[in-house]
Amino acid sequence: MSCANEAGRGAPSASPGGLFTGDPEVGADLLAVDWPATPLGPPEGWPQSLHTAVSILLSSRFPMWMAWGEELTFFCNAAYRRDTLGRKYPWALGRPAREVWSEIWDDIGPRIRTVLSTGRATWDEGLLLFLERSGYTEETYHTFSYSPLRDDAGDIVGMLCVVSEETERVIGERRMATLRDLGSDPSVIRTEQEVLAFADRQLDRNRKDLPFTLTYLFDGRTARLTGATGIEPGHRAAPAVLSADDPGALWPAAVPAGGEAVVVPLDGADFAGLPCGDWSEPPVRALVVPLLQQGSVPYGFLVAALNRYRLLDDGYRGFVELTAGHIASGIGSARSYEAQQRRAEELAELDRAKTAFFSNISHEFRTPLTLITGPLEELRNRFADPDDEVRQQLDVIHRNGLRLGKLVNTLLDFSRIEAGRMQARYEPVDLAAVTAELASVFRSAVEKAGLVFDVDCPPLAEPVYIDRGMWEKSVLNLLSNALKFTFDGSIRVSVGAADGHAVVCVADTGTGVPEAEVPRLFERFHRIENARSRSNEGSGIGLALVQELVGLHGGSITAESSEGVGTAFTIRLPFGSAHLPAESVVTEAGSTAASVTADPYVVEAMRWLPGDGGPGDAVVRAETEVTARGASDARARVLVADDNADMREYLTRILAGAGYEVTAVTDGAEALRAVRREAPDLVVSDVMMPRLNGLELVSRLRGDRRTASVPVLLLSARAGQEASIEGLEAGADDYLVKPFAAAEFLARVRANVELARLRTHHARWRSALIDSLQEAFFVCDESGAVVEINTAFADILGYGPEGLPYRPTHPWWPDAATDLEAHRQVSDAFTGFLGSAHGSYTVPVTHRDGHRVWITATFNKARDPDTGREVTVGTFRDVTAEHYAIQRESALAALSTSLSRATSLPEALSGALGRLKGLWRARSVVAAVFGRGEVPAVTATEADLRWEELPAERRETLAALRHKVPLTPVAHRSGAGVLLEHPEGPLALWIDLGENRPFTSEDQLLLSLLAGHLAQGLVRAHQIDQQRETAIALQRAILGPDRLPEGFAVRYEPATPPLEVGGDWYDTVALPDGRIGIVVGDCVGRGLEAASVMGQLRSACRALLLQEPGPAQTLMALDRFAAGVPGALCTTVFCAVLDPGTGRLTYASAGHPPGIVAQSDGTTRLLDQGRSLPLAVRPGRQRPEGRCTLPPRSTLLLYSDGLVERRRRPLTAGIDQAAEALQEGRGVPLDNLATQVMARLAPPEGYDDDVALLLYRHPAPLEVAFPAESSQLAPVRKALRDWLGQCALPPDALQNVLVAVGEACANAIEHGHRHAQGELVRLRAEALVDDLRLTVADSGRWKPPQPEPGAHRGRGVALMTALMEHVTINPGPGGTTVHMQMRIA
Amino acid sequence: MSTSLTLAPGRHPDGTPQLTVSGEIDMSNAGSLAEALRAGSGPLVLDMTAVEYLDSAGLSVLFAHADRLRLVTTPLLEPVLTVSGLADLVTVEYPEPDHASGP
Repeated sequence: MSCANEAGRGAPSASPGGLFTGDPEVGADLLAVDWPATPLGPPEGWPQSLHTAVSILLSSRFPMWMAWGEELTFFCNAAYRRDTLGRKYPWALGRPAREVWSEIWDDIGPRIRTVLSTGRATWDEGLLLFLERSGYTEETYHTFSYSPLRDDAGDIVGMLCVVSEETERVIGERRMATLRDLGSDPSVIRTEQEVLAFADRQLDRNRKDLPFTLTYLFDGRTARLTGATGIEPGHRAAPAVLSADDPGALWPAAVPAGGEAVVVPLDGADFAGLPCGDWSEPPVRALVVPLLQQGSVPYGFLVAALNRYRLLDDGYRGFVELTAGHIASGIGSARSYEAQQRRAEELAELDRAKTAFFSNISHEFRTPLTLITGPLEELRNRFADPDDEVRQQLDVIHRNGLRLGKLVNTLLDFSRIEAGRMQARYEPVDLAAVTAELASVFRSAVEKAGLVFDVDCPPLAEPVYIDRGMWEKSVLNLLSNALKFTFDGSIRVSVGAADGHAVVCVADTGTGVPEAEVPRLFERFHRIENARSRSNEGSGIGLALVQELVGLHGGSITAESSEGVGTAFTIRLPFGSAHLPAESVVTEAGSTAASVTADPYVVEAMRWLPGDGGPGDAVVRAETEVTARGASDARARVLVADDNADMREYLTRILAGAGYEVTAVTDGAEALRAVRREAPDLVVSDVMMPRLNGLELVSRLRGDRRTASVPVLLLSARAGQEASIEGLEAGADDYLVKPFAAAEFLARVRANVELARLRTHHARWRSALIDSLQEAFFVCDESGAVVEINTAFADILGYGPEGLPYRPTHPWWPDAATDLEAHRQVSDAFTGFLGSAHGSYTVPVTHRDGHRVWITATFNKARDPDTGREVTVGTFRDVTAEHYAIQRESALAALSTSLSRATSLPEALSGALGRLKGLWRARSVVAAVFGRGEVPAVTATEADLRWEELPAERRETLAALRHKVPLTPVAHRSGAGVLLEHPEGPLALWIDLGENRPFTSEDQLLLSLLAGHLAQGLVRAHQIDQQRETAIALQRAILGPDRLPEGFAVRYEPATPPLEVGGDWYDTVALPDGRIGIVVGDCVGRGLEAASVMGQLRSACRALLLQEPGPAQTLMALDRFAAGVPGALCTTVFCAVLDPGTGRLTYASAGHPPGIVAQSDGTTRLLDQGRSLPLAVRPGRQRPEGRCTLPPRSTLLLYSDGLVERRRRPLTAGIDQAAEALQEGRGVPLDNLATQVMARLAPPEGYDDDVALLLYRHPAPLEVAFPAESSQLAPVRKALRDWLGQCALPPDALQNVLVAVGEACANAIEHGHRHAQGELVRLRAEALVDDLRLTVADSGRWKPPQPEPGAHRGRGVALMTALMEHVTINPGPGGTTVHMQMRIA
Repeated sequence: MSTSLTLAPGRHPDGTPQLTVSGEIDMSNAGSLAEALRAGSGPLVLDMTAVEYLDSAGLSVLFAHADRLRLVTTPLLEPVLTVSGLADLVTVEYPEPDHASGP
């Protein structure tokens, strides 16, 4: 209650008649009515009953009107004028009611007649009335009751109407229903069409606010109709296509295209015959709002025809915009989902196709190629005459076979590089010499083409580490390329050094390429169109391979080219070996490997040159014979081992001359290695050699089942029978004593080779078969040692035949120290492997280069027919891709689950980060959102991490990610990052792996997919957040009174989750006699139905409190009302009427938990009298009433059961807990106490039912505002004295407060008078449980406390300070405020 | 309009001139009290047993005449008189409670 009005306004002079004094304004207008002209006559002659009725009417703050007498003459009060009558005031006063409400007389006339004829009151809930009060026909809703008025004789002569206008509530509920329905299914992603159809279904259900709607989506500058409600397709007002550039378009699409909304008047021929929605007249205006898209042009726009019976106010506009927002976010969601889906599928498909292509091509091409080139060689030998026509055709096949082989090998190289399986062997070489030698291979071809070949390769100061094979391919490709495109001038090869690098340059004066094409030169499969060249053949893959190979060497290659001038390629390789993987570096140059590489390049190049019908094989072969390699016609391969170089050369020469393919090594150990790598047809070995002699070599070869059958011819200088026997006993196949004749040597060789061939025919077929298997093949002995493998085995694991046997623990087992889990998987599988006859396992293993490979192995036990021992034969295939595909699926599923469970945006993000951390076993995952603030918002797997606390390096990484392409991962040594869209701005995410662990392309694909998914989930969570806010705002709008009386505090909290409106409410009603009605209720159920029941009961209860004498009667009347409202049964209500002056409270409870009173002495009391059944259970039954007087400084708590009810706990425990919280906070200011109680009682996971809470502290604070005049002191003192009386203070304390406040007021008056006349002084007094807080505020400035001793003002401050416990005087620019505090004992 | 205050001149049983004050004294009416006090000179008994409120404006008036006043009052005003220091300058008598007029 406020005393401000009474004290502030001063008593107006009473009107002459004294009849209309209840309200000065309406009273004055009533006085002005020409009463004698009405049937009522002059007021002096009115009966006492009319006097009484009018004064009740005028003094009420609740909207009321009444009609009296034969013409039902109209009266109303100020509240009715404000809420309902509008512009009809004051015209309506004194007029016949039929005239005042002519537009609704059809509705209300019959009701009034019923009241007058039967004397029974009527009741109408939320009746729709079209009022003309604001200058247009307005849709309004009223809840009202007509009750009879009787004259002095007791006859019914009029009626009183108590009205509560509910327009805001009804319309608010209706709009909220639409918005909620629109957002009702945020978790299900739909296609764009489904989103639009869903939205249309929801919009169509509200044809009151949206008589018709049209949804247009932009396609460039064209807008297409994609949805409509309330209007037939094909209607003139719903064109299928609009142009944003057409100024005459029916709907101004250009405006929403620019992001603006516009109101369109619906007049003109195009808008004739518009549908009316739920009304009888068509709409006259439409609002066109854009469907906004974050950071881009709008998706489209929504045309919303407007309810002609409502103003387009902020609420209406907000509703249409929120509706459009819902549709826009639905479209955004669907589009980004579709795009994401497409991208993920494309990525996965590309990846699959690539892997499949490269792995298939190797085997599919290589096997037939081998079967072509092998027999071809034989045929070419048979037709040795170069002029033979057959021979020439065979040569064509041969050359093209070589080309095809070269292409396949190149592709295989790519496949190996991509899979990380390229096995390099970096050895120190004289790069200048090696390069010059390679160049010399091309010399004849270049010169034959008429070009100058300039090779400038001075020796370099230090060696360069290269893999010979790779280097050869690089240089040959560049040379071949140069020759192909150069017609005049020269080709130049140079080697030099610069900046710590060896620099190799291959330059030509050829056709060159356009500048724009230069950056694409190294692109795979990219060919320069229309370039003049010697041949149209080419795969466009050579230069790309060169770039990859140079990259493996830690080097770089660049190209410069200009059209018509020429092209220069420059390779830079670092000196030394620090940049190369240590395990692949050898410190000594190995034996000169046979260069089989050059052949195809040169043969191909020669074919480009003109005027040479039969390319001379002899010439080519002569040029390519860079090592001790004979004509490749011979079928048999012979390995020569001798430590004497002359002898080695001699043997090589005679064997090569006889057509054998010869490999020469310098000792037994090398011979052993060479045989294990590839078994020859015959080994010719000296007996006396360093490291491993011939006899030992024989016994080692025989001791290994893989080499046991390789025939060996021993040569010895030691003559004599025993030496020979010794050799043969050791297992040699033949023995020859030096010196020997070449013919005899060759005869022995031939005999042994042929013998061995017969013997090993079967074995060769077997190994050819095994090698052609696409699956890896292996044989294990009884101990589990791997004793035989094929090529695929070496490809998949990186361990080749040279390392056989591989004994357990096999080198490909995962390291137990760094990955115990994987190690155990393999170890378990191995145990099973040894113990079972057959089986199959999928296990992780480690490739020789360290990368992880998943294999599925199948095995069977078998018996070796030669030895009779049991062996295990198995195959396995690389299932890494499948494994990761499954892992991807489950990671996506886990992330989706996490995202769908999140109820807010921050929760969604932090949950997802946790998933990512677990997935990659990362040290930490951090996300930074670059939103509007200056500092990015950080979320991390470590709690409460802030941007400033991140290491500078990490901040830089995250900031750099901002400029990357979204959803495209970036991997570094210690982690990986990705950029994605967060609703508040770009989000940079970093996964810190914490160690040098490879983040493979599989991982990157997975991260890309997860990031896309995450972005999607965040948008969804963001929508849920927005919907929650909307729901709460709307619920609060339809709940509770607009203005709370002084001394009250309230709270409403919806249940979490699912966040829904509910059926709980609180209410306060100011009754005409100054008392206050208080209601807290709880309807059964939740959701919109419960809210709607709640709204009706709340309105009814308000109206009934005004009519009925007490809470029990109110509830009984409410029983009858509730019986007619579906869903109202069993609603519980606590209804009370409070006299704020005395603290007297009467109350009744319809099945509701008891109110709690915390008293100032620390005791608690329950309001558990007046209890009876919930509403409508037994209508008509009497209800009891309880009474109590709230002691001074006590606090009353009313609540709905959501506050105290918990599962598996008696209700009384919850009530006790609430009482305790209330008691503890009885000294806290009321509003803080409300927050405190809500927080104290909240379960950890939030309230699972909605909660309404109402607090009142007695007495309510006193608030007085009065003019700065000394005459005001006495009335203010009286008001304060009365209020202090309610606080039950001891008399002397009361006097002290009076004097102290009096002094503060006197000061305020003095200064207010001096500085700003007419300003108000404000006094506020509040009683807490054990202290009083008093505030006096004015608009003037005070003198310093003690200006001149003895002056009474200084004495005043001294008095204040002495009488009160705590005084502060705060002078400010706007005035002075005095705070005083006194403890109450 | 000023706060209600009545001033009744009379004589104390001991013969000293007496002024009986009743009502509330604040800055709106302290002037009338000052006027009444200025009307005479010499010792005066000021009967304030019916005064329900006295603030610093009233006290200032009393301080000006402190040397000639004897106050008769109730415990209600005691804190104000003591805090202001007036009780140290003038004689203050508290008659029997039944003479006091309560609020």
